Amino acid sequence: MISINGVEIITESKKTPLYDAHINLGAKMVDFAGFFMPVQYESIIKEHNAVRTNAGIFDISHMGEFLLEGEDIFPFLQFVMINDLNLLEPSKGQYSCMCYENGTVVDDLVYYEETPQRFRMIVNASNVEKDFKWLNNHIGDWNVKITDLSYQRARIAFQGPKADELLQTIVDTDLSEINRFYFRHCKLNDLPIFIARTGYTGEKGFELSMDNEYASTVWNSLMELGAKPAGLGARDSLRLEASYSLYGHEINDKITPIEAGLFWLVKPKEGIDYIGKEVLLEQKSKGTNRTLVGLSLIDRGIIRQDYKIYKDGNEIGFVTSGGFSPTLQKTIGLGLIKKEFKEIDTEIQIEIRDKLLKGLVSSTPFFRNV
Amino acid sequence: MDYNLREDIKYTASHEWVRVDGDIGVVGITSYAQHQLGDIVFIELPNIGLVLEKGSNVAEIESVKAVGDLQMPVSGEIIEVNKALEGTPEMVNSSPFDDGWILKIKIKHSDELGTLLSIEEYKKIIESEGH
Repeated sequence: MISINGVEIITESKKTPLYDAHINLGAKMVDFAGFFMPVQYESIIKEHNAVRTNAGIFDISHMGEFLLEGEDIFPFLQFVMINDLNLLEPSKGQYSCMCYENGTVVDDLVYYEETPQRFRMIVNASNVEKDFKWLNNHIGDWNVKITDLSYQRARIAFQGPKADELLQTIVDTDLSEINRFYFRHCKLNDLPIFIARTGYTGEKGFELSMDNEYASTVWNSLMELGAKPAGLGARDSLRLEASYSLYGHEINDKITPIEAGLFWLVKPKEGIDYIGKEVLLEQKSKGTNRTLVGLSLIDRGIIRQDYKIYKDGNEIGFVTSGGFSPTLQKTIGLGLIKKEFKEIDTEIQIEIRDKLLKGLVSSTPFFRNV
Repeated sequence: MDYNLREDIKYTASHEWVRVDGDIGVVGITSYAQHQLGDIVFIELPNIGLVLEKGSNVAEIESVKAVGDLQMPVSGEIIEVNKALEGTPEMVNSSPFDDGWILKIKIKHSDELGTLLSIEEYKKIIESEGH
């Protein structure tokens, strides 16, 4: 009777360096982007609430990590990224998208400037190979070398209102000096670690990267501080409340960042050509026919990705993400709809198993604590 | 793993249970099924009076991450649903065999009861799923 949203266990799935830790914790494992990953340990809702009230840890080692080195990183990334690297400085990271010429999205990602000649980039698990090829295919004559560190390094997100206070007790740097989106290389219980003040939960917290050999020691140290292991289920419900875009849902190779509401990411970068620039700047100034909105339900039910959205009998769009919000105790979602219906509190209908349920266009984010 | 199976009820291969009393059956999902689904947040209950054949989908069980169908363990008419689940669907997690019952049916063909599984037969199904 049970299908976990089409997710099946595939025996060839890769294991992260924390695989044994998840098994020992009794996690329910699923295949996600080719990796055995914990969808939950004990309860998605308990894990979600732990991150909102205390602190949680997530294995995000399935995500990709590239090292970029060379003299020409700046002009290269200005060409392939839509955000503006003039806003970046050493020790700082930046969220951006790589787009196709038509403005749709290759991937969304974060890169961190260690020095002008050395950047670290974190990409979506499902897009690692595609991104590596895409980046390399656009290097041309620029002096840039990209190394895929995805399988040499592990990544852990440590998120929650207590993350600062707890992590401070085991690192040799003053975390209060690291502002949002900044990072440092330092020591965690004498192990070399990369710590960035970034996250995907709508809470304060950090994302850590380390050599594979240190992963389980770091994981156990964070658990000893009282952080609750949290799986992909909680990661998704937290990011949906915070209304962060997820590749394959709100953005993909058929949706542009402007349609997804990421106006602020599309920069004019005057005098600089970048892939997708023409389409995206035109969309930014003239608007698009469809736009991403928040959704809530008046009737009772749960909405899921791809459910159709109607207004007075006419199909006007589809749900990109949906689910139950443990924080708000109600059904929430995001959907891409025709722009004329985007006003907050517009009544819409969502088709769930052949029934039309009443809902509303709602403001986003639903919840954020950062 | 111990799934708290009961001796006094019958099971299906699709993880429903039914407690039979005369021609009335009380139906729910097993502890194994609720564990597989995870935190249950909504149950779409059927209308009273609906008559359905064995194996038909009769209710949808939504957890945070998954959707499960409740199938009719035998043919019958829906005579009652557990209204308490509208406010507290998580009772199916906490008490799948008692307070978390889902619906009551009037059994149409008593000979279909022979197709239901005993506790030993159902245990084999769970074990064959590798959990």
